[in-house]
Amino acid sequence: MLKLKFFGLGGQGIVTAAKTLSVAVSLGEDKFAVTVPAYGHERRGAPVYTSIIVDDEPVLLNSFVYDPDIVLVTDVCIADRQIDVGAGIKPDSVLVLNTDSAQIAQHYRDTFGFCRVYYVDGTRIALQCIGRGIPNSAMLGALCHTGIVRIESVEQAVLDTFGGKAGEQNARAAKQAWQNTASL
Amino acid sequence: MAEYMMLDGNAAAVQGMAMSRVKVVAAYPITPQSSIAERLSDLVASGELQATYMRVESEHSALSATLGAQLAGVRAGTATSSVGLALMHEICNAASGMRVPIVMPVVNRALASPWSLWCDHQDSMAERDSGWLQLYCQNVQEIYDLTLMAYRLAEHERVLLPAMVCFDGFFLSHSMQKVAVPAQAEVDSFVGPYTPKNVWLDPTDPVFINDLITMEEFTEMKYQMKEGFASAADVFNEVSAEFAERFGRRYCAAEGYMTEDAEAVIVSLGSMSGTVRHVVREMRSRGEKVGALKVTCFRPFPQKEVARLLAGVGRVAVFDRSAGLGAAGGPLFLEVKDALDGKAFVKNYIGGLGGRDVGASTVERVFADLRAAREEDDRAPVWCDVKEHPMQIRQVLRFV
Repeated sequence: MLKLKFFGLGGQGIVTAAKTLSVAVSLGEDKFAVTVPAYGHERRGAPVYTSIIVDDEPVLLNSFVYDPDIVLVTDVCIADRQIDVGAGIKPDSVLVLNTDSAQIAQHYRDTFGFCRVYYVDGTRIALQCIGRGIPNSAMLGALCHTGIVRIESVEQAVLDTFGGKAGEQNARAAKQAWQNTASL
Repeated sequence: MAEYMMLDGNAAAVQGMAMSRVKVVAAYPITPQSSIAERLSDLVASGELQATYMRVESEHSALSATLGAQLAGVRAGTATSSVGLALMHEICNAASGMRVPIVMPVVNRALASPWSLWCDHQDSMAERDSGWLQLYCQNVQEIYDLTLMAYRLAEHERVLLPAMVCFDGFFLSHSMQKVAVPAQAEVDSFVGPYTPKNVWLDPTDPVFINDLITMEEFTEMKYQMKEGFASAADVFNEVSAEFAERFGRRYCAAEGYMTEDAEAVIVSLGSMSGTVRHVVREMRSRGEKVGALKVTCFRPFPQKEVARLLAGVGRVAVFDRSAGLGAAGGPLFLEVKDALDGKAFVKNYIGGLGGRDVGASTVERVFADLRAAREEDDRAPVWCDVKEHPMQIRQVLRFV
């Protein structure tokens, strides 16, 4: 069982990202997933998070994730807003971060104690591929480097979720982010 | 052949209603039910669902319109949550008394006040005596399956009672999961066409339904409903056996998990039942003799099954996701305690209110508290995960 927590800002599409990941592992990988979104009455731009649990067998657990194996952050300003993205992490927990800066990635790694950080500028890639800075699909591409899901499954799930031209643009963003992800 | 679909709980409820071929939909949106009303509207607009969609101005009207439509001889559908269900209260009792077997998803959300958008069971528990069957779902697959089963159960001539398919707001309504969905022909063959029974409206043969009834007959009409509930227990098992044969998934009105040699068991409803099972499995791997009991059918309450499944279990915790204010405990506790009739040490736990998460650690604390409890201790319900100074929150009692 792998537990994931996605942090982002309202409007960045992290709930959609969680659902898309659920599609990718459930239909593309023959696994099972449960998404547990934490909906509030946040305005666009406010910090939000969502939980996903993935397993090889049907998932019994239906609660928020408190001890994530994988944390995904779609905006580096989250840490400046008193959100502890490292809460409950274990020594082998990894981070997927939306930044092109090795320095920021290193800072996150040192501050929160992640064992590894995968990072890519998902917003820039989204702007290039989709024309809007919504980094969710790009960050799912980067997430593939953690080994939880294959890029082919993410691409297919993105095509299914968004459909049509938007699907193709988002799938391209996922692939491009996957190709450009660095780690430390 | 079944195929896998990715559905959230609301989409699964819609899938079940649409594949059961509801012909009239009258729904009013309310968080977290809204996407049911929206999705049904989309399906009608696109022609995928051959039905009439009535736009109504409230939940009172939504259920009234649904009741009227179904009385005219078709399967009609609506869905609601929280204060929406409270606004339906009058018509809930009308529908059950008129023996109209409407199937209605209820997306569980706390009742105001204080206002909350999030899950607890106060809304459906407030309707537990309104003459509706009540089924509670653990996951999204169960929402789809129990919706199909609810039509068969509610419409059975020995039952003829409406049914609420209850599932937890956000924890299930907005949780995307993989769901096995059979082919339309298989669903048609299981659910069957709608056949109006008892009384219905026919313009060529007008009748007056739901007229004033005197003390000469009122008691007997209620007695008939009581008999409907008594039959529903058997019919649930019949329908469940047929469902299992056709689709390979078996449902029980009450279902034990590792209860056989358990020393301590938690009884629960809804999505937290999965979390309890997860914790039981982990504790069993450490050699701890614990178990779980999930109540799927709350109305009629499976008293005998609960007693049988808990026979020999020394300690029982009943977790209520509604406050049970002024009572000896929450509604689930009262039922379980009565079913056990003094045969076990039973303690009530109240929690998960207004969307507060019931995580694995909460379940572990309940087991720990239950096993440490002494016979002579105070038997008042334990409120789980209450903050340190609850009376100082917003200071409702300012001058105490």
